[in-house]
Amino acid sequence: MAQQLTAGVSLKPAYMAEALHVTAPGLFFEVHAENYMADGGPRLAALDAIAGRFPISLHGVGLSLAGDAPPDTAHLAAWRRLVGRFNPALVSEHLAWSAWNGAYVPDLLPFPRTRAALARIGDNLARFQDAIGRRVLVENPALYMPLAGHEFPETDFLAELVRLTDCGLLLDVNNLFVSARNLGYSAEAYLADFPLEAVGEIHLAGHAADSRLGESLLIDSHDAPVAELVWRLYERLVARMGARPTLIERDENLPPFAELMSERVRAERLLAKPAAAALHV
Amino acid sequence: MSELARFQQAFVEALCGDFAPLAPWSSRSDGEARFSVYRNTAAKGLADALSAQFPTVARAVGEGWMRAAALAFAREHRPEAPALHAYGGDFPDWLAGFAPAGEMPWLSGLARIDWAVRDALFAADCAPLDTAAFAALSPDDFGDTCAALHRSATILWFDDGTAGLWRDLQADPPSAEAELAPEPGGLLVFRPRLEVSTRPLGYGAYAFLRACRAGESLGLAGQAALSAEPDLPLANLFGDFIAAGVFERIRRSPDAVW
Repeated sequence: MAQQLTAGVSLKPAYMAEALHVTAPGLFFEVHAENYMADGGPRLAALDAIAGRFPISLHGVGLSLAGDAPPDTAHLAAWRRLVGRFNPALVSEHLAWSAWNGAYVPDLLPFPRTRAALARIGDNLARFQDAIGRRVLVENPALYMPLAGHEFPETDFLAELVRLTDCGLLLDVNNLFVSARNLGYSAEAYLADFPLEAVGEIHLAGHAADSRLGESLLIDSHDAPVAELVWRLYERLVARMGARPTLIERDENLPPFAELMSERVRAERLLAKPAAAALHV
Repeated sequence: MSELARFQQAFVEALCGDFAPLAPWSSRSDGEARFSVYRNTAAKGLADALSAQFPTVARAVGEGWMRAAALAFAREHRPEAPALHAYGGDFPDWLAGFAPAGEMPWLSGLARIDWAVRDALFAADCAPLDTAAFAALSPDDFGDTCAALHRSATILWFDDGTAGLWRDLQADPPSAEAELAPEPGGLLVFRPRLEVSTRPLGYGAYAFLRACRAGESLGLAGQAALSAEPDLPLANLFGDFIAAGVFERIRRSPDAVW
């Protein structure tokens, strides 16, 4: 894609009409790939129109990379059709699983980061990248409960995946913030260990406190504006790493399109700051 | 079984309510309380998907009832693919046997129509047959010409007034008089271009389209329509269907397999 991506927003059906007529250099739109896995219809036609004007990012939520089974071949074929149709600027998936024994759980589920799991996920990811002929960005998950049995910290596990498959990474700063709070580690220390050179996209989103456990359990709810503490983390990250395409993610409690676009402007301004500022942060 | 597979198995059992198999991997005392985030997210995802697929059912019964029914359905029917807009094809039949819906025998029918709309929405795109293709036909051709319905089309029949009730419930806000009229009737759901259309069908129109769908010739379809409804204005009806884009193609071979 010739155009340089700066900041983008989630594209929801409710935003299609306004999105089509907006003008903003560097703007891109991200959709959940699975929502467009259809034979035809108005939803695909609307995305065709958007893709004619803006770069598109296809974000997968259902490949189940971290499941103990190869990716579903029908799902890979559906992915191939989407990539062929929309020629996305970015393609991403999650370090998580959702399929088990032919049934699908609509969530992004955790797993013990073992050597065996690394081999399996590396293989799954290689199959995915081969099937669509693209480098895939793998996203760090939002975690809610500590698990026993990890053999790698998450940052090392992601670095190993990059080494094994030449994939890229999608660094979700909100997921990082939520996981650090929920599991009791330092977000800054996590970022210090993160393989930043592989980051091809950043996600920013809002979160919510659990209705029962309160602030000790944050939910990656995507139903609110990006939190101030997440903005601060993002600002320091960009100052250190330099600019990367950044998405304002929103899936629930959708605000007016203009509100989402104003969050995007805030990200764009931070991205435009000279990277040299990093020296003084 | 690999450790990852054992973990996934335990996790799914915990999602279904039994946390014990997952306990060996849970490294903190409040693990199960935290685990409920996953239960809630999965349940919400399934309930949201079904509410999106069956908006008229949700409108008829209200959000709370719909959610409870969706979760009861989801316990027995897990999605088989990650594209959740394809989840819920068994919901209409399941609703027919769902005891709390016993007072609403039309509810399953509303769900069938909602599902037909979903099918039409996501069907492969295909321009309907141009009216000119029919203009070239003379009545002599009807005996050996078949007309195939548009690929997005579903035809439904209800012996009660479910079709009319579904149409009443589309009004926004729903018309206060939405109620089950005792008249039998059918419904055609199809998407000739980008928008889904619905058309009420009487006895004759339903018989006509049903015969077309079964691969009968236009002549036989017309006979079926007139025997179901002797005073049907058949030529007008056929013309209306053509103009609305109900047909995808015609073929002059009675033996054709459609």
